[in-house]
Amino acid sequence: MEKYRVLIIDDEEDFVETIVKRLRDRGLDAEGALSGPEGLQILENKDFDVIILDVKMPKMSGIETLREIKKKKPLVEVIMLTGHGSVESGIQGLQLGAFNYVMKPVPLDELLKQMNQAYERKLIEEERNH
Amino acid sequence: MSDSMNFSNVKYFFLPTILLVSSLPLGLLANGSFALLAILLSGLSAFQTIRLLKRNGVRETEKVELDSFSCRNQIFSSVDQLSAGIAHEINNPLGIISQEIEWLRHILKKQEISSSVDRKDLDDCEDSLMEISRQVDRCNEIVQKLLSLARQVEPVIQEVEANDVVLSVLEIVNREARDFNINIVAQLDESLPPISTDPPLLRQAVLNLLVNARQAIERDGEICVSTRRTDSEFVEIEIRDNGCGISPENLNRVFTPFFSTKPEGKGSGLGLAICRGIIERLGGEITVESEFGKFTAFTIKLPVGKKKERSLFV
Repeated sequence: MEKYRVLIIDDEEDFVETIVKRLRDRGLDAEGALSGPEGLQILENKDFDVIILDVKMPKMSGIETLREIKKKKPLVEVIMLTGHGSVESGIQGLQLGAFNYVMKPVPLDELLKQMNQAYERKLIEEERNH
Repeated sequence: MSDSMNFSNVKYFFLPTILLVSSLPLGLLANGSFALLAILLSGLSAFQTIRLLKRNGVRETEKVELDSFSCRNQIFSSVDQLSAGIAHEINNPLGIISQEIEWLRHILKKQEISSSVDRKDLDDCEDSLMEISRQVDRCNEIVQKLLSLARQVEPVIQEVEANDVVLSVLEIVNREARDFNINIVAQLDESLPPISTDPPLLRQAVLNLLVNARQAIERDGEICVSTRRTDSEFVEIEIRDNGCGISPENLNRVFTPFFSTKPEGKGSGLGLAICRGIIERLGGEITVESEFGKFTAFTIKLPVGKKKERSLFV
């Protein structure tokens, strides 16, 4: 598997820690952020290929964060992840350019499959833009 | 157009027919081959005329279809351009209104500290700002839809399993459907080949159709989502609901931008137009079938994937 860069933005600290560790074990360059603003700050200094983004977060919602991410880095692929998703936020997320909208809990292999597809899409878009 | 075509062709049919009918008694009265020849010639003439009539009819029908296709494309292209223009023009004022709302909230907060202002007035102002904000969100949503309709970005084609796309979207609507006592049944053909498609765009279209299906039922009903292979080139995804159905006079207008039967404020009339735009950009087609008061079924037909030489993740 290619070592691509993944950012996980979720306010559940345990979840972020666990998933970052497990993705690193699988050979990925993974980092975590505990809020939308923190994630956006990290994005200022480093490029990522795929972002896993929680929908329901205090301070700045996942949808608001997605909007900002797409303004700053339109080519980065975002997978929305939620435990209490609504159809409305699903529609909004996809309309704003999210790659997918996935319900928690999701098995790691399934999430990886989605992430690989999202990364493949980013490579196609990058190739097209060059 | 077809009416005038039929009328103008009537004379080509009647003339040889009269000739044929009038030659029959002649053939009976006269002896010899002349009468027989007259009957045969008239018969041939009538036969030829019917053939011409049919061919002419087919050509006219093709012309009508071509005219309506090119006309439809022109209309949609204009709607796309108009939508993009409106969306961009509205976006900027909406952005300014949102910023001004934030600024007014900031001022109100400062006023809260000062005891000279009437508390009730402040609450009224806050309520009013909240309502303005809600309406701005509504406008933003419409702008997003307009942009989706107009967006002419080239799809990013990947090979994916149609069933995976369907299942991921079903997860999003399942919970809400249960709340309305709507049962979602998935009948997925496990032997489907991968399809070549843009996964997020397809998810957006399928989600839109599922939301429409749920709204058509309102409460207590069933949505059946099935996948199947029709031939070596295409697979189909069907979303069928046993909701209110679509009346025959509205059936051929459902994909027209801004056409909606929903109450005012409940639907922009852009959802199905966006769906069709997406599916056509993916090289597929979308059709609808319905019986008023009984069911509605939308079928998406998509091309089967072409074998890739290299895959990143094997």
